[in-house]
Amino acid sequence: MDRVWKDLTLSAIEAVSLSKIYHRSKTQALSEITLTIRRGEIFTLLGRNGAGKTTFLRIAATQLMPTKGQISVLGHDARDEPLEIRTKIAVVPQEGSTIGPLTPWDHIYLTLLARGMPRNDACKRAEKTIEQLELTEYRNQPADSLSGGLRQRVRVAMAVATDADLIFLDEPTLGLDAVSRRGIWGVLSEIQKEGRSILLTTHYIDEAEILSSNVAIIDHGKLVLSGSPSELLRNVEERVRVDIVGSTFSPEELSNYGRVVKLAERFRVLTDDQRGRQLADEAIRRGTDVALARVSLEDLFVDLVGKDDE
Amino acid sequence: MSGVRQFRAAVIIGYMLSITWLRRNLLSLVWLFATPLSLLFIITVTTGGRSFTLGVIGSLLLVLSTVGTGLAGDATWYRLETKLQDFFVASPVNQLGYLLGIAFAGLFFASPALVVLLPLLVYVGLPLLSLPVVLLSLAGVWLFSSAIGYLVSTFTSNLRNGWQSGLLLSVLVGILPPVFYQAEILPHNILLIAYAIPTTHAALLIRASMGTAPTLPYWSPLTGWLLIAASLAIALAVTSRVARWRQP
Repeated sequence: MDRVWKDLTLSAIEAVSLSKIYHRSKTQALSEITLTIRRGEIFTLLGRNGAGKTTFLRIAATQLMPTKGQISVLGHDARDEPLEIRTKIAVVPQEGSTIGPLTPWDHIYLTLLARGMPRNDACKRAEKTIEQLELTEYRNQPADSLSGGLRQRVRVAMAVATDADLIFLDEPTLGLDAVSRRGIWGVLSEIQKEGRSILLTTHYIDEAEILSSNVAIIDHGKLVLSGSPSELLRNVEERVRVDIVGSTFSPEELSNYGRVVKLAERFRVLTDDQRGRQLADEAIRRGTDVALARVSLEDLFVDLVGKDDE
Repeated sequence: MSGVRQFRAAVIIGYMLSITWLRRNLLSLVWLFATPLSLLFIITVTTGGRSFTLGVIGSLLLVLSTVGTGLAGDATWYRLETKLQDFFVASPVNQLGYLLGIAFAGLFFASPALVVLLPLLVYVGLPLLSLPVVLLSLAGVWLFSSAIGYLVSTFTSNLRNGWQSGLLLSVLVGILPPVFYQAEILPHNILLIAYAIPTTHAALLIRASMGTAPTLPYWSPLTGWLLIAASLAIALAVTSRVARWRQP
């Protein structure tokens, strides 16, 4: 009965006050993270390098022990019941590589067999995944003769091909070109439609915005913000951004309209709708290049976690 | 997964990491021959052929201990570079299944050398009926070395140290003990140290099955088997308790 209840729980991952300290380096990688990831959703962890995204993912994927706090994955305690969790998850670790002369087919088919899948099912799933990830042309080529992007697709395929209920992808599109990234997004959306859950970490804000039902922004091991991308943007005061190119406005003058951020050869002014429109009109009147847009998740992200660099 | 399924997973991992590799990479077929056959050649030439049999025994043991201790490097590569270990940690395959899998990969890599050296051992005087004894002692050495190699790999923080540890262990387990030379020439104290290494007993057992075992203090075939079994049990127990599968 307990098992049935656990399998029916609505959360894919539930973390309560989760902390991690790496004793060797005495680094506090996670600090009191409380987070719920629902079943069937794509959830993205956003953060800078070293923010703690991978640490969270590795703890949830039962690869790393937490120092403090609780975390349950698919209804099982990740600390004490890793074996129950491992039959239902698959992971694409960050920055791994393919194995020398093994072909994409070898990578996918043999890892499915090793996970215990019957031969026929493994064969069908490997074929389907190879098609999904557009690897058919390279199916029987040694991985070490493939480009970095294709190898990364093979690694993603190794996890996607499994029948896991929850898939962990640690920066799966790192180093991929725009077309390949979109290809992987398509596959992840299909997986979500099958009712499976995905925990993703990424640096790419557009990826998080397009793919995710919910995102969490982590900085220095702490949860800064979480919610759906639209919810997060709805709650910001500065709803528009105005990019001004050139030097017809001084920073002091721009600061009358809103908060000014210097970006290379341009100024970005974050402000409300009315003052944004006024500034854009004034820029047009002076013949200055101007772009007016809604603030994006990226603006919010930079605002929240980019303070160290200012 | 049940024990049978873990074993199946181990064979598949072994196949994946060796046979698929060997099929497309012929250099891997010959590299393992290089050191044992060079030592066999040197020993044979310098003793005018008198130690050829010992050379064959030593070569066999060196091949199997090298593929085992070599896991210190290989498993470090699977963990740090390919992240294959992380992939399998988050899967139904358990640590023993994975360890056995990468150990099988080493064994499959060693198979061409075994195909040459085992018939050679029969040719120089091993009775065919004693072949199971030899295979069992070789299996003990292979598993012991693999457990130690894997254990070391889980604590190794960079690839270069992994390869270096593997080579060092290979010297300690496969070259320095009396496998290429007669145990009876060792001073008493050093002989006692050599008893701590299972390759010593495997070499003596193979010699015993060929009828050429020396009389040594505290040693008999029974104590040889017991010590191989004990060192294997300790190595597997320590590895399963101490090796880092899930990182602390």
